[in-house]
Amino acid sequence: MATLADSFLADLDDLSDNEAPGEEEAGEDDELGKEDVEMPDVEVNYDDLNTVAKLQNTPRYHDLMKKVDEAIESGVPATMAKLSEDDPEYQLIVECNTLSVDIDNEIGVIHNYIRDKYRLKFPELESLVQHPIDYARVVKRIGNEMDLTLVDLEGVLPSATIMVVSVTASTTNGKPLAEEVLQKTLDACDRALDLDESKKKVLNFVESRMAFIAPNLSAILGSAVAAKLMGTAGGLSALSKMPACNVQILGVKKKNSAGFSSATLNPHTGFIFHSEIVQGSPPSLRTRAARLVSGKSTLAARVDATMGDRLGQTGRAFREEIQKKIEKWQEPPPPKQPKPLPVPDSDPKKKRGGRRLRKMKERYAMTDMRKLANRMSFNIPEESSLGDGLGEGYGMLGQAGSGKLRISAGPSKLSTKVKKFKEKKYGSSGATSGLTSSLAFTPVQGIELSNPSAQAALLGSGTQSTYFSETGSFSKIKKIV
Amino acid sequence: MALLGLSTLTHKQDVDAMIRDTLDKVLVLRFGRATDPVCMQLDETLGKSSRELSKFASIALVDVDAQEIQVYLHYFDITLIPATVFFFNSQHMKMDSGTPDHTKWIGAFHSKQDFIDVVETIYKGAMRGKLIVNCPLPADRVPKFELLYKDI
Repeated sequence: MATLADSFLADLDDLSDNEAPGEEEAGEDDELGKEDVEMPDVEVNYDDLNTVAKLQNTPRYHDLMKKVDEAIESGVPATMAKLSEDDPEYQLIVECNTLSVDIDNEIGVIHNYIRDKYRLKFPELESLVQHPIDYARVVKRIGNEMDLTLVDLEGVLPSATIMVVSVTASTTNGKPLAEEVLQKTLDACDRALDLDESKKKVLNFVESRMAFIAPNLSAILGSAVAAKLMGTAGGLSALSKMPACNVQILGVKKKNSAGFSSATLNPHTGFIFHSEIVQGSPPSLRTRAARLVSGKSTLAARVDATMGDRLGQTGRAFREEIQKKIEKWQEPPPPKQPKPLPVPDSDPKKKRGGRRLRKMKERYAMTDMRKLANRMSFNIPEESSLGDGLGEGYGMLGQAGSGKLRISAGPSKLSTKVKKFKEKKYGSSGATSGLTSSLAFTPVQGIELSNPSAQAALLGSGTQSTYFSETGSFSKIKKIV
Repeated sequence: MALLGLSTLTHKQDVDAMIRDTLDKVLVLRFGRATDPVCMQLDETLGKSSRELSKFASIALVDVDAQEIQVYLHYFDITLIPATVFFFNSQHMKMDSGTPDHTKWIGAFHSKQDFIDVVETIYKGAMRGKLIVNCPLPADRVPKFELLYKDI
């Protein structure tokens, strides 16, 4: 398996060597800092990190980071209320949002790079530690070490994961990396961690200014969550264009590490679910509250995007409304009043009809026999059970003319009709002796009663051979005792 | 009595008004004293079932010790307490429960369900235009006072 992977990588190496020079040229022209991700899905083993991760080298990045640092140092701006679109501070914040998205993409690319390089050393690590920054940290700590008991992963990973990683490392089929490859990998890790730091800085800055950027949104959710939402969405206008159901899902972590159950993970628990207002409600109402809050916060975001309400009053009103609704959900249901009885005979009894009822009634219906017994014919004395007019009278039952004492109970009109088999009638002429067996087994019809004389007649004409006959059966039918 | 939700009538006009104004509903008038134990039992039965029967019956208590009510005691010949008289659309409804007196019900009911059955029977009979109905309760459920006191 390892050798196969190696051979594939070697093939890819050939590919990348051809393409790398072409990449460099394109990279220098591109000033926007967005690397044209040609094949994000295919692992291409770039030797040089700079061809992949260009963001940190661009002037845009450095400018923005400088501005952010300055703004953080200068503190809260004096003018609280009006932050119009032309304000450079506002522009900065908008740019910061796009930058944070770009940083995320960049981190993803670097993560791929590190992963590709480190795969030779410890292939299973990428499935155990999915998060890019955690992966980078772990790689930095482990380095080129083969024995994981010498490596301290405390503080980087949760203890359960550390355990799994150590166990997997002891049985891994990776080999130590070459020195230069290791150096490049560690460089890439450092870059990733740097980017993470700057992203944090940017987000902190945005959070501190959140009350001025989006007063209504931060009135509902609080500055931190609002900043995170904006960061993940990629700006206030992008956030306002999302439907509320998507806003609810922003920030959901899709980490299903191998071996850990996903049954206990809550569905749809993004930033909004973990916000203060939702977590403050009782656990059974949290999903409902999250839906409500995401709806209202989407509205607030739209208000902010269009600069509708700079003072944040809409946001505060929404917050009040949300709190009231959550209170109302917690109210006990009204006590049940005993229902008064309905007026007697007010609703006529629902008479049912139909086949089923008729069939039921048939069991108690007057039979023909009874009917006849109840009637009498004129001038004819009826017979009775004890004779001489004593006992039950038989009426027209068994009268002289009819000749039937018993009346068969014919099949009722409602009984299901039984299908009869088509019986084939076979007669035998009297000439056959009583010892001949009429049973014949044929492949076509199973057992059939056949007329042996008919068979004999067939076999009698010697001109036609019956060997291949389809209708013929055994030539000799003899009873075996 | 206030807890039961049933009104107690002490004036003749109230009783008259009650009888006159209850339309298409059985009117149950209990003549008795609130202090009498049997009366208290009956009152509880009446109170508990008043809401359930509210759609086709209304119940009221009449205090037998009031001055104005004595007229009614003469009219209905009420000597034993408690006595329950049934009306429907100002018509006095009689019920044959196996006792000598059909015009009223003497004593308490064994259970709430018994009382409900009696009122339902009276209602059904009245809606059909009858003035006297048969009691749906079996004989052992009917309190037999009369035999002892012999209509004083």
